[in-house]
Amino acid sequence: MKAYPVAKIIPLLLLAGVWQAASISGLLPVSVLPPLTDVAVALAAMLRSGELITNTLASFARAGAGFLIATIGGIALGLLMARRRVVERALEPILLLIYPVPKPALIPLFMVWLGIGDVSKVAVIALACLLPIVTATFNGARSVDPILVWSAKARGTSERRLLWRVVLPAALPQIAAGVRTAIAIAIIVLVSSEFISSEAGLGYLIFSYGGVGADDAMLAVVIYLAVLGFLLDRLYLSGLRRLMSWHAFAH
Amino acid sequence: MPASACLEMRSIAMRYGEGAQAVQALSEIDLEIKEHEFVTIVGPSGCGKSTLLYLVGGFLRPSSGSLLLRGRPITGPGPDRGIVFQRYSLFPWLTVRSNIGYGLDEQGVARAERNRIVDEYVRLVHLDGFEDRYPRELSGGMQQRVALAQTLACRPDILLMDEPFGALDAQTRRILQDEVRRIWRQDAKTVLFVTHDVEEAVALGTRIVIMGARPGHIKEVLERDFDVADGEEFETNSAFGALKLHIWRSVKAEVEAAYA
Repeated sequence: MKAYPVAKIIPLLLLAGVWQAASISGLLPVSVLPPLTDVAVALAAMLRSGELITNTLASFARAGAGFLIATIGGIALGLLMARRRVVERALEPILLLIYPVPKPALIPLFMVWLGIGDVSKVAVIALACLLPIVTATFNGARSVDPILVWSAKARGTSERRLLWRVVLPAALPQIAAGVRTAIAIAIIVLVSSEFISSEAGLGYLIFSYGGVGADDAMLAVVIYLAVLGFLLDRLYLSGLRRLMSWHAFAH
Repeated sequence: MPASACLEMRSIAMRYGEGAQAVQALSEIDLEIKEHEFVTIVGPSGCGKSTLLYLVGGFLRPSSGSLLLRGRPITGPGPDRGIVFQRYSLFPWLTVRSNIGYGLDEQGVARAERNRIVDEYVRLVHLDGFEDRYPRELSGGMQQRVALAQTLACRPDILLMDEPFGALDAQTRRILQDEVRRIWRQDAKTVLFVTHDVEEAVALGTRIVIMGARPGHIKEVLERDFDVADGEEFETNSAFGALKLHIWRSVKAEVEAAYA
């Protein structure tokens, strides 16, 4: 991972300063915004008690399962759509219809179908993550330079092997971008689904602390979640750079 | 015994599209190429010279006419015909070594043998020390050398070249031209080389096919009745100059006709 420039932290420190000043000066009542120091204390307490870790693991299991299903299914479907006209014709209208639907809006419906447990949550996360991955894979596989396909065929690659030898690797940069979007979506839908019904998870923590008016603890989880999401994205990008050193990333 | 025909093109026509929008890319192409010949095809852009090469490569099918490779119709691409494209034909996710070994890998050549052949071709195109680089880390000239090595490593006996040096600077182009001529002489390959560069056509081809446009057709076929040695400074060769001028006038007339 690249050293993160100090200059990028300055705006965050400024924001934290303004927040703290606004609350301790009484400009914003504690009921509106608790002081940042209170939030930090709450965060430390939750970290110490293990509450945060337990709930993080519960959330990770759900988001991870949904994300994994979406990644495998999305790449397979996207490739299939790109290679088989019939599949493209059959799936495209359905995907176009589902794409603009805010996926959390489907949570109640999924709960009716699959129960209020983990299965419905994993299913909604998987569906939400599936779309950007299918679209990216399809577009990537479709836009493979025909010269590369010709070049492979002229060197003895069969139609069957073409998928593994050329189409998939050529589409990889676009697939990777789709997967990155899916990671962000997984977190959004995860938290939304945990708001609605659950006994564990980061969304559950936010919802239950918010419900009892413990705003400092609620905000502590939100900030923790933001940092977690940021680190996850960085981790993904640095892993990608290592795995795909052949590709000139624009970053 | 006369040299046998390697490639035969019999009244080939090629149309793209249908109805009123149809474009006639090639018409009435008759050409016979003997084993071990080096044939260059030169003509203005849009005369269908690359299309003709793609037909021989098996990437496209002619709309009519017949295309025979050693007496058998061409039905698709195959490793017997190696092709070098103008550019961007290397697999960006493979290193130089893996790119050159790609065809051998696909044909199931064992690893040790593959490594030996790859090393041989790395040396041939002077890329020692660059084996583990990725294409994007190489200059255009080096990328084309890798593409050449990738094609040659499959040991095709027919080489199809689609303006392979068109995007390179003049010095690099001249050096690679010498390499291709040397390889042709050494390994007795049959070469079909498409170019828009008249000098390149004369420097390489033992026979030069001039094509005209609208629709693409063969305008003239010339035998080069003198040899060009590797590394020869053909600027001093008067026969070379005369042939080059003749071809240039012929191509220029085509370009002017297209603008008229």
